[in-house]
Amino acid sequence: MATLKTLAYLILYPGLLFIFFYSTFAEWYDRKLYARLQNRMGPTHTGRAGVLQPIADFIKLMSKEDIVPERADRGMFRALPAFGLAIVSAGMLLLPVWNYSLSNPSATSFSGDIVVLLYILSLPTFIFFLAGWSSTNLFSTVGATRVLTMLFGYEVPLFLTVLTPAVLANSWRLAEIAAFYRHHPWLALLNIPAFLIALICVQAKLERTPFDIPHAETEIVGGTFTEYSGKKLALFRLMMDVELVVAAGLLATVFLGGFPGGLLPGLINFIIKTLLVIFLLCLLRATTSRIRVDQVISLSWRYLAPLAVIQLLVIILIKGLIS
Amino acid sequence: MKLGVFIPELLRHLFKKPATVDYPFQKLAVPPDFRGSPYLQPEICIACRACERDCPAEAIEITVTNEAEKKFNMVIHNDRCIHCAQCVDSCPTDAMQMDNLFEISDYNRQDMKKRWDFVRAVVKPKAETKS
Amino acid sequence: MSFQIPIGPQHPALKEPVGVRVTVDGEIIREADLRLGYNHRGVEKLAEQKTWTQNIYLMERICGICSHSHATCYVQGVEKLMEIEPPKRGLYIRILVSELERVHSHLLWLGVAGHEAGFDSFFMYVWRDREIVMDILETISGNRVHYAINAIGGVRRDLDELQIKHILDSLEVLRQRSAYYEKLGTTEPSFVARLAGVGYLSREDAIELCAVGPTLRASGVPMDVRKDDPYAVYDEVPFEVCTADSCDVLGRTVVRIKELLQSYNIIEFLLKNLPAGPISVRAPRRAKPNEVVSRYEAPRGENIHYIKSNGSDKPERLKVRAPTLANYAATIKMLKNGFIADVPLIFAAIDPCICCAERSVAIVDARTAQERIVTMSSLRELSLKTAKHQARKREAEWPL
Repeated sequence: MATLKTLAYLILYPGLLFIFFYSTFAEWYDRKLYARLQNRMGPTHTGRAGVLQPIADFIKLMSKEDIVPERADRGMFRALPAFGLAIVSAGMLLLPVWNYSLSNPSATSFSGDIVVLLYILSLPTFIFFLAGWSSTNLFSTVGATRVLTMLFGYEVPLFLTVLTPAVLANSWRLAEIAAFYRHHPWLALLNIPAFLIALICVQAKLERTPFDIPHAETEIVGGTFTEYSGKKLALFRLMMDVELVVAAGLLATVFLGGFPGGLLPGLINFIIKTLLVIFLLCLLRATTSRIRVDQVISLSWRYLAPLAVIQLLVIILIKGLIS
Repeated sequence: MKLGVFIPELLRHLFKKPATVDYPFQKLAVPPDFRGSPYLQPEICIACRACERDCPAEAIEITVTNEAEKKFNMVIHNDRCIHCAQCVDSCPTDAMQMDNLFEISDYNRQDMKKRWDFVRAVVKPKAETKS
Repeated sequence: MSFQIPIGPQHPALKEPVGVRVTVDGEIIREADLRLGYNHRGVEKLAEQKTWTQNIYLMERICGICSHSHATCYVQGVEKLMEIEPPKRGLYIRILVSELERVHSHLLWLGVAGHEAGFDSFFMYVWRDREIVMDILETISGNRVHYAINAIGGVRRDLDELQIKHILDSLEVLRQRSAYYEKLGTTEPSFVARLAGVGYLSREDAIELCAVGPTLRASGVPMDVRKDDPYAVYDEVPFEVCTADSCDVLGRTVVRIKELLQSYNIIEFLLKNLPAGPISVRAPRRAKPNEVVSRYEAPRGENIHYIKSNGSDKPERLKVRAPTLANYAATIKMLKNGFIADVPLIFAAIDPCICCAERSVAIVDARTAQERIVTMSSLRELSLKTAKHQARKREAEWPL
């Protein structure tokens, strides 16, 4: 029975099949919302209201010719997309959707898994850097250096703001943090500034406008992905979609109270809360324009990091006052 | 911060109809004077060759098929035509007109040419001609 | 570590092929170089083979956005050669289409600036409103691009009451939307952060490097052909020359938005004071031997056509000096000491119309300072001869 449950967990939900279908659905939702905000139609005609469009794009990319540049580092160039997809999919397994119990930590829900999830989310940045570097193309190199430059900006505020609710909830385990905020909803309101800062930092991690400098189409062609085509590009794009869902899931767990109720109510909760976070991210994407890399650094160190530190101090004070 | 200047406008558009149409399942109407492709009304053509002379793209070709019976053959090469309607302006009897079709692309060049065989009409050209 | 980044000829930032080669040091540009000629089509040679009437349509197709400006500049010159004077109503309709084209071109530019900066929502909204102008132009002239409303001696189509009312109603909508874009484009923080201080061109540099159009006017120099050398009916129409003082891309944006609002006023004046009468006069087939220079204020700057006739029904020589050609030297100056991330914006700020600017190449011999115009076939033979003797390089570099 336990093996059957584990297999279902790994393959069905929240395993590989669910990841594929839900992340393509999340991409459709993001694209349709972005289009409607801009008074145009978005994907239509593939499936009802264009729902199958990201899957169609994936299949199309898989069937295109795959070119490896002559001077690129063969092994790394080929292996990176698969590595990236594997890493973010592993991150999905750590979100507390079902098959966990609050009293017994298991392999997928243990003390400290919030740190592991943050670490897993910062690995894709290095994968992008290595992808750009191993392409040995001028535009990819510039894109790769921009990816790392941005990392120095948003990583610190992201860590601070995501760990702030953990400090208040007195636990390093995602399932326990979510349960704490479900039982004390007023304390969740204190984390709202941290939520807003975390939204901005997650937007930077996912490399979406206003932070889509590394693959800025109008400046450096494709940035880190200039030389990728065919199957490798399909896997990279799927990786970016899964990263979106995992980051949205992380924010929903830590700030919005998690996904209670077991299998089916938990699934509905998961969908609603992640779609809410993606709605806010999409609104941020439609409102702003791209800013320069040096402006990202100055923005994060002048505004985001100090605000995150102040928020952490306030939470520590409140925790002292409560206990 | 003035970040929120744009957001109400954006959110309002979520509830409006989109400004784009789902072509090719829905099409917009063209105005009545739209310059589509030229066509000939052979009953009133006097074969003066003004359109052939003035066409910038050399898209009109008039040949004599029978000198005695005054029979002519006109070919309009719609694949060369630039849809400027100069032939309509040059024609002294209004025999050349423009329709308003715009979806005229084809896989084969030869299918886009239009041909007429006609006898030259005896019609008085209009008093003022447009230059 | 400095290395050279080629922007173009194929690049998503450019709408047309041009080769910009920038030498960068990290993210800062140290040197810039422009390579032209990718879009050369031999328009001036072709114009010598076609009659005066056929050339109107050829001149239109030099550019898609400023098609009416080239056609009008040419037709003005030819009317001077043939010594005919078009009637007032014809001139009013011609200038009405000119101002509508200016509106559509500036709205297009605003959207493109938003897209280059990454501000896609702004781009979509502005282009949605540009559709109103395109629909008006389609109703008046029969086509959305390449209006072909000019004939030698006047215009080809007339306006009726229904069309005039439709244009005046649409003007109201456009005025309201443009006021909103002015507020948005100049106060949205991330957008302004990309535009302010970028592409600085001082007043002295602008005059010395012969910049034209909004690029010049954003550096505080109030030069506009419509005021300095009025053609058609511009001496009767009241309007102001718009300038800005900030000498950067934000200034150019502000100048274009102000010109947009001025154009709405001009269109309203033209429609309310449209005189009655014929719309064209008959033009002869031949022109007497003479030469003429015709100037016109296109949306991008000053457009100059030089036409020479020799008594036949075809021109002897036709030379086009498009405004973008005059702005290239200023662009190189603006690119130095900027960031790579600003290259698309600086380049877009001069509103480049590369296909307007591609004309024949003059080769100057550096040692003897002699000029010769070289044909493509002899250049090709020369290059094949030289390439045969060189070993095939694995990594070719552009010889700078």
